[in-house]
Amino acid sequence: MIRAAVLAAALVALPAHAQFNFDLNRAIESVRKLGRATTEIDEKQEIEIGRDMAARLLGAAPLVNDARLQRYVNNVGRWLASQTERPGLPWRFGVLDAPQVNAFAVPGGTIFVTRGLVQRMRSEAELAGVLAHEIGHVLKKHHLKAIQKGAQAELAGEALSMAMRDSNSEARAKLVRFGSEIYSRGLDKSDELEADRLGVVIGSRGGYDAYGLPAVLQMLQAMNAQDSAVALMFKTHPAPAERLDALTEKMQPTLDAYAAQPSVVERFRQALQPK
Amino acid sequence: MKAICILLLLPLLAWAEPAAVIRATELKKDPATDAPTVAELPESTSVDALERRGGWTRVRAAGAEGWVKMLALRYGTPGRQGESGLAQIFNVARTGSSGAQVTTGVRGLDAESIAGAQPNPAELQKMQAYAATPDAAAAFAAQAKLQAVAVEEPQ
Repeated sequence: MIRAAVLAAALVALPAHAQFNFDLNRAIESVRKLGRATTEIDEKQEIEIGRDMAARLLGAAPLVNDARLQRYVNNVGRWLASQTERPGLPWRFGVLDAPQVNAFAVPGGTIFVTRGLVQRMRSEAELAGVLAHEIGHVLKKHHLKAIQKGAQAELAGEALSMAMRDSNSEARAKLVRFGSEIYSRGLDKSDELEADRLGVVIGSRGGYDAYGLPAVLQMLQAMNAQDSAVALMFKTHPAPAERLDALTEKMQPTLDAYAAQPSVVERFRQALQPK
Repeated sequence: MKAICILLLLPLLAWAEPAAVIRATELKKDPATDAPTVAELPESTSVDALERRGGWTRVRAAGAEGWVKMLALRYGTPGRQGESGLAQIFNVARTGSSGAQVTTGVRGLDAESIAGAQPNPAELQKMQAYAATPDAAAAFAAQAKLQAVAVEEPQ
């Protein structure tokens, strides 16, 4: 409690008065000496770090230049996000102009899906299943926890505190870089399987055919793992067959209970038609 | 650019997908457990998958047609071992007439491009503008007769 109060006081004082720098450093130093340097990332910081990470992904691939498609995907995604325990996040959805097959969740509620993946889908329920899987990562803070874990190893308490506080700091750049590396390295397998279960749950909550996500996984399973279009996605996720087995084992009752909900094929086809 | 689009559309046009059943499965006349059984398919029976409806996939197997549980199917890759064409396109695009590497923008998202990416604040701003409000999204869902239901997260 005392630690929190000292830190809070120092943080409030900092932006207005640079001379408090010294006090802040002393406060952090004393916290560190106690061996209890805080590494908690609150929701505001989660959103800020997520924006930086999203900007970097958009630097690797821009949005598909199709306002109608982008609004369509935002409507589907926002509807699903409203069915979750974090409806108040600034949810944003984007289709990246990349031929590869992949999707990404960014802390704070930004979700990307690639053109290559969307073009291989056959219904809105399939899109919903994929978006719901990514929403699941955000709800469970999978990337954020991985960042926290890595940051603790890479940045000392003081630098981490700086990364949180100052969006222009070198420490923040390092944190964002580390966060972006997760997209090449992948999360824990258990995180992916949990997101798959949530993909079925949240898609069903939105009123969609519960088999949307399994259908996409089957489509992926039919693709050659050596194909460069899926190389990164396959490297960073469990094999589709394993994911399907895990869903069959854990989710069969849910899948069957909501299998008859709409797939919404026609609206999906129209949204994908070239402008 | 056109070539890429055509290549990406190919899998969509495929009518029958080769697959196999991963366990002994009943081939049903209709997509329902209580529908009459057309045939008993032993484990590993090869089938052609034709379409999906909910948890069921319509297949052609051993001269008969019917529905099997979708999750009883695994798609086979024989004949699909090739590339979807991305690597070839990149190779051509990146070599160019001078032999020097050219950045084409179609490279897209691989580990390398993500690692080397610079922030693109303009695109981020564009994305904010496409955001949907909860109310708009609810109206959008209603248009397709989607109804929110309470579904528990499995423990």
